[in-house]
Amino acid sequence: MQTDKPMKSYQKVALSALGVLVFLLAWEAVARSGVVPARLLPSPSAVPAAFLTEFKSGTWQEMVLASLSHYLVGLSLGTFLGVSFGTAAALWGKWDAFQAWVVRMLRPIPAIAWIPFAIIWFGVSEGAASFLISLTVFWINYYASYAAVRGVDKDLIELGHAFGQGGLIPRLFKIILPGALPGILSGMRAGLGQGWMTVVAAELFGISGLGMRMMEASGLLATHIVVLYMVTIALLYGVSDFLFMQVQSRVLSWQR
Amino acid sequence: MAAVTLSKTAAASVIDLEDVSIGYGKDAPPVLVDVNLSVERGSFVAIVGPSGVGKSTLLRVVAGLHTARSGGVTIHQDRRPGHRPVGLVFQDSRLLPWRRVIRNVEFGLEGLPVSRDERRQRAEAALKLVRLDGYARRWPYELSGGQRQRIGIARAMAVDPDILLMDEPFGALDAITRHNLQDELRRIHQETGKTVLFVTHDLEEAVHLADRIIVLGGTPARVVRDVRNSAGRDGSVFRDQVEQLRSEIADNYSI
Repeated sequence: MQTDKPMKSYQKVALSALGVLVFLLAWEAVARSGVVPARLLPSPSAVPAAFLTEFKSGTWQEMVLASLSHYLVGLSLGTFLGVSFGTAAALWGKWDAFQAWVVRMLRPIPAIAWIPFAIIWFGVSEGAASFLISLTVFWINYYASYAAVRGVDKDLIELGHAFGQGGLIPRLFKIILPGALPGILSGMRAGLGQGWMTVVAAELFGISGLGMRMMEASGLLATHIVVLYMVTIALLYGVSDFLFMQVQSRVLSWQR
Repeated sequence: MAAVTLSKTAAASVIDLEDVSIGYGKDAPPVLVDVNLSVERGSFVAIVGPSGVGKSTLLRVVAGLHTARSGGVTIHQDRRPGHRPVGLVFQDSRLLPWRRVIRNVEFGLEGLPVSRDERRQRAEAALKLVRLDGYARRWPYELSGGQRQRIGIARAMAVDPDILLMDEPFGALDAITRHNLQDELRRIHQETGKTVLFVTHDLEEAVHLADRIIVLGGTPARVVRDVRNSAGRDGSVFRDQVEQLRSEIADNYSI
């Protein structure tokens, strides 16, 4: 049980900022103390300079745009298919039973394990990266939607029948999907984060983007550039998660 | 299996149940047997009986949510367009939490041949009927239990049903709110002349509201008494009526 007094929102922001600051200072202190060689642990203060160099040459923008395009294609495809298949499996028992074991067999295979096939099918291309991202995102949304649709209050479905809205289309669009929306949206949000993680993995084998640039830099032991792109991904994730949360809270304004 | 038959021929009754028997599952013993009941247009009929006797199940059969095992269920539907044969009010209000109040009231009108404007007008009129016309833009979570029940009544009334079916609609409310809503329902019945079929286990409520009381009892349950009632709310007539019903039910009660 929480016994603390409720915090003001500016107090929360101030504490979060303090946390980041302390983390960076501690990191800087360790890097500067010389306990660890600079090659192995770049100091955070080296990152802004790395950013300027990468930005001036246009590499940073190019990599961000490339990753963003893989991400958006993979995310939208994976989300759409995941929600559709998850919802369908939750709605129709026969379809659920039909696909249950296929799902069980495919589910535990991580996206990285698909890299060989991604390359064989799509080549070292944008399509391969998007494919891998959409796979990761698909499973998260599949399970989230399945559970959300299953969890829709049966009494509300009965209400639909009582008021002439029991047919498939009104039932689906007026009761099941709105009722499952909170669960579907939290699945989408989880997929949004996992998608960024897969971006790096998908680009490690040479598809242009943040991941590829990180591999290049680490090959040259330019660890400050690696850190720059780590921070870039963190920021991109932070921004997309923040934007999604804004949409989410607006769409779910009917919740208490 | 007997589904609800909709008849458009004029009749003095709104619903006719003939030798209806109801059960759950194929081989399970029936819950209700030999139910014969005609509900006159404009009347207020209460169904009472001990818990688990099948009152709500009977209501669900009339609402088309459950199919009777045998027998005939007929609803004599009026010829006027743009209405539904039944309007159902649940004990737990069952508002759609993602719809504002006005859109909840419009719910049953969707899918009827009614224009968007007319739908809105009818929903607003129904809100006015339950005296919540200032609440159209609220979310369900902002309402009290009594207000939610009123919205549930407005939603059922908006479809202008041939019969208003109410399944222990005030059972979950506190005593004061229940009392207020009983008076409101009585007023609504008088103002609109709607036929009401009302399930309750509260005998005082039945005697206060209904002009006819059907007592269900026994195992399997059947109609054990069919009482004309005009006792109203107060006085010795009311108390006598309630006491008489109470002993009827006790006589037919078996565990």
